[in-house]
Amino acid sequence: MKTIEEQIWDYIDGHLTVEEKRTIENKIASDAAYRELYKELSAVNLHLAGMETDMPPMAFNRNVMEMVATEIAPVSLKTKVDKRIIYAVGTFFILAILSILIYAVSQTRFTSSAVRLPVMVIDFSQYFTPAFIKIFLFTDLLLGFIYLDSFLRRKKI
Amino acid sequence: MQQQETDLALITAVLNGDTAVYSELVKRHQRFVFTLALRFTKNREDAEEVAQDCFVKAYRALGTFRQTSKFSTWLYSITYTSAMTALRKKRLTTVSLDDETYTLQPLNPGSASDADTIDKKSAYSYLNIAIDSLLPDDAAIITLFYKGEQSLEEIGQALFMEPNTVKVKLHRARVRLKEKLQSLLKDEVKELI
Repeated sequence: MKTIEEQIWDYIDGHLTVEEKRTIENKIASDAAYRELYKELSAVNLHLAGMETDMPPMAFNRNVMEMVATEIAPVSLKTKVDKRIIYAVGTFFILAILSILIYAVSQTRFTSSAVRLPVMVIDFSQYFTPAFIKIFLFTDLLLGFIYLDSFLRRKKI
Repeated sequence: MQQQETDLALITAVLNGDTAVYSELVKRHQRFVFTLALRFTKNREDAEEVAQDCFVKAYRALGTFRQTSKFSTWLYSITYTSAMTALRKKRLTTVSLDDETYTLQPLNPGSASDADTIDKKSAYSYLNIAIDSLLPDDAAIITLFYKGEQSLEEIGQALFMEPNTVKVKLHRARVRLKEKLQSLLKDEVKELI
């Protein structure tokens, strides 16, 4: 339940429906207490609307521009994210997943009494050398750091 | 609307490499950002620092500004965050409305000369004193609503609040302001308002 004061503030701010507005207008016209309060709040509203903002010191703009000059020039996020990088990262992950998938399938021996599938055994151990795995993990780590860096930069703002 | 379009044009120019144009954006919004900062810090030196910090942060993040809202709303949300961080750091004590030690003396209602001196300017200075005595959030809401040309939704967006919460706080702040003005100016409040 709104107080009379809340109702009048809503009326002054224009936050009422047509019906509510008409009700308040009738009350203001017929009730002296309502009318008095409306006048008082309207005057407060008028003064609040007329209040002045404070002027910062004269050198404010210059100081800001000096600070800004030491910053890296901002660029639109659209131009900042090069699509080629996204495609390269995407391709890398797709290839990595496919390689693992092929390796896993090739290591599986499908046996069935009814159907005998030809078993193709590829020795991937010659490809998945310790050096390859290290490079793979290092690249993952590097991509992780790049993502973390961009995430923290956004959070800093 | 024209103002908003022009702001967007300036932002585009800055993003396209014409960084000097940012000065125009600062010039346009510095007064309000400074006032808003002042509502939180309650002193000009800290407000200046907060306002500068706000403009630098806005510059850094200009590329991430989604041009679906007003630049001013976005800028005020940065001001709010910067001011709150500064407040937390400094642990500034705010003067409560109920603070009995508040130093401003009410005018003498019997003095005709005092009553005569309540001109428009002093009325506004009393208003500013009354606003300064509000809680920072409430003072910011009053300022944003009356001088920032912001709707309840936009204020909510800038201060990370629900529009309904903003509305309740706005109402509470206005009630307190009226009471404060009445206590400051005694009988003259009728003439003032």
